[in-house]
Formats: sequence, structure tokens, C-alpha cells
Amino acid sequence: MKSIFISKKERRKALVGGSFVAIAFVLACVFAIYPIINSLILSTTSGRGVVTEFVGLGNVKRIFNDTVFKTALKNTFIFFVFQVPIMLTLALFIASLLNDRTLKFKGLYRTAIFLPCVTSLVAYSILFKSMFSSDGIVNQLLLFTGMIDVPIAWLRDAFWAKVTVVIAITWRWTGYNMIFYLAGLQNIDPCIYEASEIDGASKTKQFFAITIPLLKPVILFTSIMSTIGTLQLFDEVVNLTGGGASSPSLNATLTLTQYIFDLSFKFVPNFGYAATVSYVIVFFTAILAILQFRVAGDDRG
Amino acid sequence: MKKIFTLLLVLTMVLSLAACGSKKDTTDADTTDATTTDTETTDTETKDADTTDETVEATDGEASKITIWAWDPNFNIAIMEAAKEIYAKDNPDVEIEIVDYAKGDLEQKLHTMLASGMTDGLPDIVLIEDYNSQKYLQSYPGSFADLTDKFDYTEFADYKVGLMTLDSKIYGVPFDSGVSGLFYRSDYLEEAGYSASDLENITWDQFIEIGEKVFEVTGHQMMATDPNDGGLMRIMLNGAGSWYFDADGNATIANNEALAEAVRVYRDMVNSPMTKITSGWGEWVGAINSGEVASITTGVWITGSVKAEASQKGLWAVAPTPKLTVSGAVNASNLGGSSWYVLSSSENVDTAVDFLNKNFTNSDFYQQILVDRGAVGSYLPAASGDAYANEDEFFGGQVVFGDFAKWMDEIPSLNYGLFTYEADSAILSVMPGVYEGGSIEEAMMAAEEQVKNLIN
Amino acid sequence: MIVVKLRSFVRYSFLNIAAFVSIFPFVWMIIGATNSATDITRGKFTLGTELINNFKMLNEMVDLPRLFGNSAKIALGGMVLQLFVASLAGYGFEIYRNKISEKVYTVLLLTMMVPFAALMIPLFKLFAGFNMLDNYIAVILPTLAMPFMIFFFRQNTKTFPIELLQAARVDGLNEFQIFFRIYMPTMKATYAAAGILSFMTFWNSYLWPLIVIQSDDKQTLTLAISSLSSAYFPEYGVIMVAIVIATAPTLLIFFLLQKYFVAGMLGSIK
Repeated sequence: MKSIFISKKERRKALVGGSFVAIAFVLACVFAIYPIINSLILSTTSGRGVVTEFVGLGNVKRIFNDTVFKTALKNTFIFFVFQVPIMLTLALFIASLLNDRTLKFKGLYRTAIFLPCVTSLVAYSILFKSMFSSDGIVNQLLLFTGMIDVPIAWLRDAFWAKVTVVIAITWRWTGYNMIFYLAGLQNIDPCIYEASEIDGASKTKQFFAITIPLLKPVILFTSIMSTIGTLQLFDEVVNLTGGGASSPSLNATLTLTQYIFDLSFKFVPNFGYAATVSYVIVFFTAILAILQFRVAGDDRG
Repeated sequence: MKKIFTLLLVLTMVLSLAACGSKKDTTDADTTDATTTDTETTDTETKDADTTDETVEATDGEASKITIWAWDPNFNIAIMEAAKEIYAKDNPDVEIEIVDYAKGDLEQKLHTMLASGMTDGLPDIVLIEDYNSQKYLQSYPGSFADLTDKFDYTEFADYKVGLMTLDSKIYGVPFDSGVSGLFYRSDYLEEAGYSASDLENITWDQFIEIGEKVFEVTGHQMMATDPNDGGLMRIMLNGAGSWYFDADGNATIANNEALAEAVRVYRDMVNSPMTKITSGWGEWVGAINSGEVASITTGVWITGSVKAEASQKGLWAVAPTPKLTVSGAVNASNLGGSSWYVLSSSENVDTAVDFLNKNFTNSDFYQQILVDRGAVGSYLPAASGDAYANEDEFFGGQVVFGDFAKWMDEIPSLNYGLFTYEADSAILSVMPGVYEGGSIEEAMMAAEEQVKNLIN
Repeated sequence: MIVVKLRSFVRYSFLNIAAFVSIFPFVWMIIGATNSATDITRGKFTLGTELINNFKMLNEMVDLPRLFGNSAKIALGGMVLQLFVASLAGYGFEIYRNKISEKVYTVLLLTMMVPFAALMIPLFKLFAGFNMLDNYIAVILPTLAMPFMIFFFRQNTKTFPIELLQAARVDGLNEFQIFFRIYMPTMKATYAAAGILSFMTFWNSYLWPLIVIQSDDKQTLTLAISSLSSAYFPEYGVIMVAIVIATAPTLLIFFLLQKYFVAGMLGSIK
């Protein structure tokens, strides 16, 4: 008697909940699930444009021997390893600076640092491209202040090009992550800090022993979002260092997604192979996400 | 909450009004699309209304309309606008819409639409870069209209016709030529002791020699280039009658004497003090506009940019393109260039062909675009027109375009094949090693390996 | 005392540098808008006199009011619809939590991992098949059920007091009435924050509109900027003006709704 009663309630709950979620669910099925399945099927084909044939796992085999793929993979990981920690640390640091009640101009700082997030990708790449060119303003400032003797080839040199991309992404997204951290920090009850101060803990100790653990969910969230973003990195590398969408991509900054694009629109189009490469991205994203969950030690929920 | 929604609603209404009331741009074609966009509202799903409007649009055989896609508002688009005006005089009932896209964007859209097999929304005429023509023709068989019998192709430059031919059928209308030339500052060269005749029919090695002397004497570097751009190498290669692939489509990167030479020369250039290293188009052109650099060797389409700096009038001249020291090389080459293609899905193929015929096989039209835009067409009869015999003051009275037309005739005819971008990419990826003194032979072998990887 | 002063100095210096670096490109953009193309490529850093000229040229090259209007329609329409769909879903997932819905939610979030590049062509074929290309509905539709937005609303819903919900039920309101009459007004800050993010996403969107929009008169501002910047000799001054115009609305909306934004983000962390 009792069990039927409970299940009926559960069922009604599910139904009502379902109707709320219905629209989103249908949209997701049509515009996310369907294309995903479709492209999985596509990845078993290979060919030129629409002249394709079934190759089964042939594309997967091809990936293992593909030197360009390996370069793209290496680059993507380099960006991931350097850019994500730098950006998140910076964001956390700035957020904790801003979380001080005694700080003046808080609102201004917060707005200023978040501003970059508002720009469109096309817009800011054009800006950065002109700023970081050999005769550009960045080099001019550096030369003027004597920090360098010779203009740095920001957009051309294999090493500096990567640096420029990291700078660009960091510039654009730090503010975004900072806001999340700021919100998280403001959720922490100041009493906890007061109590630990009475116990004699230094500010640094407080930071590592209290702040970070309490912020773990937020940090995990931003970390995973940034991972997804960086592994799928495309826009910045194409517009800043890639020579645009119709000339050869700079090998030093070629990313996996950029390679997918080249395979579809620059080279003789092989949509099946391109689809296969994109699932490599999904694969690594999933692994890294799982790893991060494990490291964090708890479920995001 | 209410406040925000009201604010948004007001904003929406204001903006919709702004959009509805936008002026009819004189450069855009008048389209009946304007009314359909106005009926779209932002806060209700008017899906049904939209589709009915769309289908009416598509099936309504309104008095012929042709859509043209191209890039570059100052060059291709402007030229098409001029063509449209001429055509409209005799054919007022034909509506012509010219849409401007960034080159990369256009290519992306074209691929996406052709790949999905959907023909609604494809233009009637599209501009395609010559390096890409075979790629489109072979990847999407049947998508382009066979124009073999619609034009007299003997009137067009040989090399252009070759690259748009597949299985003995010709698919496009050749447009601008990328015939190359060595543009130089005659004043700087004179200062260093060189006259025009010293630059006639030289080799690239001689060019470097001259360049270093010019730098030594005048302090101006001879040229600017981007080590990550393979354009100049392609000029060298083309001028030697060679390419990344042979006539059968096999990669000829590793055992290619001409290419190895081109790579060597380019390496020497990049490492020479006479070369200014730049990145991106703006810097490259900026180097000559600012008077910093003494020469630029590239396609004739750079003329407009060279002339942009009016203060340099009379100080420039153009010499034939230097050649590689390999047998069969000539002092003429090509970089870029594109052609017009008609989509076979077009409902107005005949109108499109007629439009192209009236303008692009019309010698007077070519005179006009030469004068207005610096466009050198590949229509051979046009070369005997007045504009081509003009003494250009900017170039010290030289009959510049007459020279270019002459060189165009000498360009070795090549089949660029499908994989130019793949080859470019592969070679550029090994160049850094070459610049540092690595073995060219090994680099070329590695590049060929990579290209084979990219070719399915 | 000195230590405190030093620490304060360091703190403010750091923030000042961060703020400067963040704002600098915007300043550069405005300066660029007042200069000519050749001056910009030479890196001129002072205000020029070309602003009016650049603006005039821009108006000649593109139909500015139309472009702006198109972008606005997409951004506003998309934002309103996305807020509606995502908030409904986020609320639904949170309040009516059950085993099945949790699984669905996870799958939804997982779809974020697939790069758009992989979905582009199948999506395009889908719309083309229904003859739904070249209209704004096609531009907006695929992004409406954006997993991130749903996630955002769900997280924020956790701060929605259960008591309100229960009280409303006691008062006899049905579930939907509760959502519209109680939830929505209470979550103002969340809607504002999500609204900003949503507006920005649609306003700045590039790739999908590029593929879907066919006619010239439906182009968006972002697309126009891209095509201007890929000419053989880009008119940088004109492009800068266009960028200023393109960035202004998002800046404006952000400034207006700032307070709500932080409050809304706050709610998403709990």
C-alpha cells in the first residue's frame, strides 16, 4: 500500500518535472544529440567532398600515422597545460584581492577586469592582431621602455606565437572566472576567518587552509569549463596567428579544432576524417574531466 | 522583473523600427527580401510565417534574378558592381544581387552548402580562387555548370583555361590574372647604381645580390616578406614551370629540383639583411607605403595598394619577375587570380551566362576595370585596348599594363591540382628548420611525407 | 605599519595593472577609430581626426542601421527565448529531481564536450532539409537549449527558498503558476545575469550565422566586420569604428545590469 503511494507521487513529480524540461529536452535531442550521432556515422566515411566511401575504423587508423594530427595534439595540450592554470590562478588571486571590504574602487576594478569578456571574438582578434604586429603598439611600448632591443615577432615566431595566444585567451577570460570566484568568496562566512585569526593563522595559511577547500566546487567548475574551452580552442588561433581562414595555418599554433576546420574547408574536404578528429577531442575532454573530478575528490552535482 | 521586460520590449520595438526604416543602400541590390525580414518579430515564434515566406521566395519565378558571391569590396565586388550597371542598361528586368563575404567565409559557406547537397540559397555565380578550382570541381561533381560551348575559350589565357577543365569540360569564366612582376623604387635602385635594364631578366640569386647592394648603399631593405607565407616560393616555382604536383597528381616535393632551388633562394632571402620580416598583409604593404622597403614581387593585383601612397608617384617601376636557375625557367609567373563559376543548381543559368558574356568577353569592360581597379583580366583581346597602352605616370611613364599583358602570355601553364593548400601547409611546417640551416633535402622529404598524410 | 602600507601598495598596483591591461585594447580601439588605415598600421597612438571620415566610409560600405538591427533582433530574440527555455529546464531539473532526470541532465551536460565543428554540417543539412535556412529562427534555435544556461539556472534555483514553494502550493497554485508568478520575480538577479551572458553569446556569434544566413540584408554586424577585415587592403579605421559600434551595446547592457549580474553569479555558486 505504502509503496504504491510513493511511486505514484514519484511518477507525478517526474511528469510535472518532465513538462518543464520538455522544450529544452526536445531542442537538445534535435540540435545536439541528432547531429552528434550523425557525425559519428560520418566519421566512418572518407573521401573528397561528397564523393565518399565507407571505411569503418579506417579513419582511426589514419590518425595514428598522421604527423599533422600529432602536431595539433601537442599544441593543444601545450595550450591546455599552460593557459588554464595561469588564468585560473590569476582569476583567483584577483578575486581574493577584490574580496576585501576595505578596498576602494572595488566596483571599478571588477568592471574593468570583466570588460574583456564582453567583446566579440572577431573584434578582439583584429585588435590584438594590430597590437601585436611587429610594428605594433606592444612592441613600441616595450622598445620605448627599454625592455627589449629588437621587436618581438609575436605573431610569427613559433614560441612567441603560442605566448600571444595564451595572453589573448587569458586577457579575455580571466574576468569571467574571476566573477565566479568572487561570488564564491562572498559566500564564505567571514566568521570562519575571524575564528582562525584568533587561533593565530596567517593570511596565507588562511588562504590555503580555508579559502581553497571551500571554493573547491567553484574551482572544479571553472577548471572543467576552461578545459573544454581550451581543448576546443579555435577562434583565437585562426584569427590571431592562423593567417585567417583562407591561408595556411601557422603550424606552431595549430590546434585540433583548427585541424578539423582545415580538413573541412581549406584542404580537399574530408568530412568523415574531420569528424573522427573531433571525437578525439571529446575523448580527451572526457578523460581530463574525469581526472579533475577524481582529484577534487567529490561529485559536482 | 517587469521593469526589465518592459525595457527589453521597448528596445526591441525601437530596434525593429530602426531596421525597418533602414535606407535602401545604393550599392546593394534592391531585393524583395526586405519585406520578409520586417515581418519577423522577436518575441513570438513565427516559424510558420517564415517558412511560407521562404517557399514563396524560392518557387516564385520572378523576372530573372541572379545572385553573385565574391570577396573584397574594393576589387572583385566593385568590378561586379560596374558589370551590373552595364548589364542593367540593356536588361532592366534582370535583378542582380551581389553579396560580399570574407574570402575564408565564402569558402566555408560554399563547402557547407555543397557538402550538404542543399542547393537552396546557393548563388548563381561565385568567385573561386584558381588554386581551389580543381578542389571544388572534383569534390562536388556536377555542382558547377558546364560552360564549354558557351564561351570562346581560345580568347582567354591558356593557363587559366587549363585549371578549370575537368574531363575535357570547361567550367568557369577566367577573371583576374595574378601575373607577377617585380615592383621597385627606381629612385632607390638608381642611388645604388642600378638602372631599369639591370633588372631585366635576372635570376633570383642576382636579385639577392642587387638587394644587398641596395641595402648597403641606401639603407633601405630591398624587400619584405613573411617567412610563414609561401607566396613568393610559389611564384618562383610557377615561373620554373613546376609545381608541388605533377600532371598526374603525384606529389613532386621531394625530388623536385625547382622546388629545392626555390626553398634555397627563399631561405637565403629570409636570412639576408636586405629582407624585412613582416607578419600579415597590413605590415607587408605598410613596408612599401611607408617608403621603408625598395621592392615587392607579387601579383599585379598589388598595383592598387602600391599606388595608395600618392606621394610616391613617379618613383616606381616594374621589371619582369626574376627566375630560378633551373632549365625551363622564364621571367614570368603568377600568384593567385580567380575566376567566376556558375552553379548548376541555378535557376537562371542562361541569364548568368549572358551576364558574364556581355561583360567578361567585352574588351571595353576590361579597359574600364583596369583603369578603375587595376584589374588585369585574362581576356587576350583586351590587351590591345587603349588602357593597356597607357603610360602610367606613377610608374615613371612605363606602359605597365602592356608589360603585364606581355608577361601573362609567357606564364608557364600548370595544373595546380587539388592539394595546393595541403602542400603549402606541409612545406611551411618544415621551413623553420630550413631557415636555421637544416638540410633542404631532408626537409622536402619530410614535407612530402606530410602531404601524403593529408591526401587521402 | 610599513608592512601594511607596502601590502596595500602592492595590492593596488597589481589591480591597477590588471585593470589597465584589461582596458587598454578598448582604448586602442577608440584611438584606432579616429585614425586612418595607414596610421593604424604604423602604430600611431594618438587621437586622429578621421573619425567622421571613417564613419562616413563605413556607412557607404555597409548598411549600418540594417546590420545593427539584424544583430539586435537575433540577440534580443535569442536572449528572451533562451532565458525562457533554460530557466524552465533548470527549474524543472532542480525542483523535480529524480533518477531519470539526473541521467538526462548528465547527458545534456556531456554534449558540451563535442566541438561545434563536428556538429556544423549535420545541423546545416537538418535546417536545409526543412527549408529553414536564411532566417533568424534557424540562427537562434540550436543554441536555445544551451547546457551551460540550463546548468546556470539549475544552480541558482538551489537558492530558491523551498518555503515559498510550499506556501504557494498550500495556496492552491499549480506548478506552472508557481514558476511564473513566484519563481521568476524572485530570481530577478539570476535572469539579469543570464540575460547578459545570453545576449552577449547571440550578439557576438559568428560561425553558425555565417553558415545559415544567405541573403545580404540579413547579415549581422559581426559578420560584416569579418568581411571588412579580409579585403586585400583592409580599411582599419573603418573596421575600428565598426568594432566600437559592435561593442557598445554589450558594454551598455553590462553597465546597466551590473549589480544584478554579480548578484546573479553569486546565486550560481551556492
